[in-house]
Amino acid sequence: MHSTGFLGLNGPRAPDPMTFAAAVLAWIADPAHWVGFDGIPTRVGEHLTMSVTALALSLAIALPVGLALGHTGKGGAVAINIANVGRALPSLALIALALPVAFGLGLGLGFWPTMFALVPLGLPPIITNTYVALRSIDPDLIEAARGMGMREWDLLRRVEIPVAAPVIIAGVRNAAVAIVATATLGAIVASGGLGRYIVDGLARQDQARLFVGAVLVALLAIGAELALALFERLVVPVGIRHAARAPDTWSAPR
Amino acid sequence: MHQERYRAPVTRSAAQTPGGVSVELRGVSKRYGGGATAFIGVDNISLAIAPGDFCVLVGPSGCGKTTTLKMVNRLIEPTSGQIFIDGQDISTLDAVELRRRIGYVIQQVGLFPHQTIAENVATVPRLLGWDSERIRRRVEELLSLVGLDPGVVRRRYPTQLSGGERQRVGVARALAAEPPLMLMDEPFGAVDPIVRGRLQDEFLRLHAQLGMTVMFVTHDIDEAIKLGTTVAVFSEGGCLAQHAPPSRLLASPASDYVARFVGSDRVIKRLALISLADVALELGAGPQGAPTLARTSNLRDALSTLLSTRADAVTVVGEDGVAIGAISMERIRMALDDVARSWPENEASSEGPAGRTH
Repeated sequence: MHSTGFLGLNGPRAPDPMTFAAAVLAWIADPAHWVGFDGIPTRVGEHLTMSVTALALSLAIALPVGLALGHTGKGGAVAINIANVGRALPSLALIALALPVAFGLGLGLGFWPTMFALVPLGLPPIITNTYVALRSIDPDLIEAARGMGMREWDLLRRVEIPVAAPVIIAGVRNAAVAIVATATLGAIVASGGLGRYIVDGLARQDQARLFVGAVLVALLAIGAELALALFERLVVPVGIRHAARAPDTWSAPR
Repeated sequence: MHQERYRAPVTRSAAQTPGGVSVELRGVSKRYGGGATAFIGVDNISLAIAPGDFCVLVGPSGCGKTTTLKMVNRLIEPTSGQIFIDGQDISTLDAVELRRRIGYVIQQVGLFPHQTIAENVATVPRLLGWDSERIRRRVEELLSLVGLDPGVVRRRYPTQLSGGERQRVGVARALAAEPPLMLMDEPFGAVDPIVRGRLQDEFLRLHAQLGMTVMFVTHDIDEAIKLGTTVAVFSEGGCLAQHAPPSRLLASPASDYVARFVGSDRVIKRLALISLADVALELGAGPQGAPTLARTSNLRDALSTLLSTRADAVTVVGEDGVAIGAISMERIRMALDDVARSWPENEASSEGPAGRTH
């Protein structure tokens, strides 16, 4: 049994760690892997293009929806449940479903079917966080703003969005990480990206290639997380950070 | 500190109030729901407030005083009845434009946590599109007006201030565009008694200085009597039980309910509203060795002095320290009777702003 592997197939040979590390380093050091359509820069670029586009599309759909629902407080539960379906649907199935649709629309293989899988993944965290962030703003703040004569748009722009910003951005971070990780699937519909290394690595039993692809995807996901954390520091108003950091004794009536 | 409470009526009259507007509620009701489950928030209230008046709405919780206040800036729309500000039916005005001309202060202040104190105070001027230099000057002026050092607090955030300081900022923010009407919903309810007393005194001074009309909600009858030129007592079910100057409310409560609400010590509270300067004193100084009181003191101080020193009379002295008369227990009793007699029985329940001191 142990010699034939699971279900009688030959499992991957467990490589000696040192040999494996040397193979990976050799793979990375090979100048051929840094040029051309299958080079690391190209694949990273493809992966980033897919991820950024998918995140932008998710934001374009989810932010207005989340803001409208959160501001009015209506239909939130329904929308969040619908959005969560996006989380429940297997991305692989979505890509498979998207193929005939994309062909039918003349959008071709690759990029657009991948978007079809990635955008539903980005929607739920952004819609949910935006809605919850707006609904959990202190009602006194809203009342004071309205009582001073803010129109609904002023209220949203000057009060609700800035106060809700940290939670909204946390949702965007979740969406970004999920999208970067899942963009790997683009490879199976010829969309390129780092998934290419993983798919090809598996097919060719080229474990160095597979490993480099996986590590690069992980690094990109971490990079997205860090970039958005930096963005959060830049855009979240100082007073909100004070408020978040200040213990309750500061806000309690004196 | 007491002078603050018992100032002469002239400093609070409408005569020198450029900014105050009249407010009138005519048969205003607010009902929630319909049929058997209908809940009456405010029940057919009529209330007239003269320009520059400080009208305190007081009553137990859930009696409709906050709802009444919010109908004046249209955060809540009445089910029936009309509200007039400066003679204009407010239902014909744009609600947002209306609110920008009315100062609004709530108990929880509602300062914007993401904005500095200066930005918070500048909220309404910015909505009105003032230029930045004018806003900057106005913010400095307002912060000084409410007793904060602009240089110190301007760049701070709300969480970096104490509760009392935040409430001052809330008042400054409401005053920013020189509103002729201020609506205040238990603004000093969340601060400790010492800070509350100071904020009350300072706000009375601001009111005397700026002369805007104020509608002020509280559940504290003592605060109502201290601050109001008139007091509107609400009862459960959103009814207006009585609207009168504090001294009259205490001297002749319109019903048992009002009498109970103002408290069994209402005579003592009345004494505090009557200045020695306004009562008929016995001529000449009191007996040899009698205690003395300044004429700016009130009858409550006089009674307290009489009881604690066991003297028959207190000598009242002017600002120069010279005796201008004396007051005895008998005179205190007479003064109470005089004040009560000075109101004709059939007089309308809402009076002018001078009604606070008699």
